[in-house]
Amino acid sequence: MDQPRTDEDQPLVARAQSGDAAAFDELVIKYSPRLYGLIYNMTSNHEDTNDMLQDVFAKAYRAIKGFRGKSSFYTWIHTIAVNMTLNFLKKRGRRYHLSLDDVDASIQHDKEFIELTSTSSPVREADLTELQRRLNEAMMKLSDEHRAVVTMFHIQGMPHAEISKILGVSEGTVRSRLFYANRQLQNYLDEFRKNPVG
Amino acid sequence: MENFDDNEIGKLLRLKRYEQPPPGYFENFLHEFHRRQRDELLRQPIWSVLWQRLSGSLFRLNLPSLTSMPAAAAAVLVCALVITLKVHQAPEGPNVAVADGNVPASHQSVLEQLSAEPVVDHFTLSSPISSRSLGPDLSRQLNERAYTHRTSSPPRYVLDRLPVSYEPSFNF
Repeated sequence: MDQPRTDEDQPLVARAQSGDAAAFDELVIKYSPRLYGLIYNMTSNHEDTNDMLQDVFAKAYRAIKGFRGKSSFYTWIHTIAVNMTLNFLKKRGRRYHLSLDDVDASIQHDKEFIELTSTSSPVREADLTELQRRLNEAMMKLSDEHRAVVTMFHIQGMPHAEISKILGVSEGTVRSRLFYANRQLQNYLDEFRKNPVG
Repeated sequence: MENFDDNEIGKLLRLKRYEQPPPGYFENFLHEFHRRQRDELLRQPIWSVLWQRLSGSLFRLNLPSLTSMPAAAAAVLVCALVITLKVHQAPEGPNVAVADGNVPASHQSVLEQLSAEPVVDHFTLSSPISSRSLGPDLSRQLNERAYTHRTSSPPRYVLDRLPVSYEPSFNF
């Protein structure tokens, strides 16, 4: 997707490391929407996502002086977010409830949405809210690690190599998790196919 | 009816990008972040805040680049120590005789002859000492002794009593 090849954030990072709070604010503004999407799709809860995102940036702020640039800032901040979210999910266990954000109305103009609603009868027959609920339920049935891979690959559009860096696993492991997660999602969504309106 | 294939699952999941937080959420997020930072700072003990400030100041001094300083200082100290030990343990340098004392017996006769026989020519700036005539006997004796010294023993130097640098400066 838009993962930078060189660390374009280096000037901002250097300023933030020297104590420039405004530079860190710019990094927060730049990365908060993307990290929000990452955490939200792993937790399926808006309030948890909000708290987690605050904690991620607070931790990054405390740790940025120790950031040596061995990876890009993009990879570094995503690694913090994924690790903190996985830890949070382990603590939270199964005690959760879905607290979903509204689907933006601009989805009606999305090419893929138009294509899906015109060719796939389950999607065509379900309304948006139902579709969202089914998708999130299916996502939450995945293990945390598989959901993280699915979120980064399908929703955030990251390449396998970047996901492997963030998770600290091989690209083969990423592909394997993705394959397994896709099979599981197919099975969960099969119910949706059989009973489109729930 | 067919199952969802990988392509359709990918498309469905990409639609989740349209799930967005309420409008204005990201604008308020930064303010909330600052508020939490302030709250956290107020909860911290004073020594912790001071330590963070201090470590921040040291970081701005580029402390990692200064980590080589102790090593460099240690290297300088070791070098100085080695040089000092060398100087103290080194064998004595060439024999140095002082003009007014400990004159070797071999030179005594030459000196006596020099003092006994007044030099005929007067020393002037235009006639340096090297060109003075010491008489044939004395010249030969000095030359022989100098030649003998060169071959049998290390050269000996005669220094003035006071080095030039110790002479009092002129007062105007």
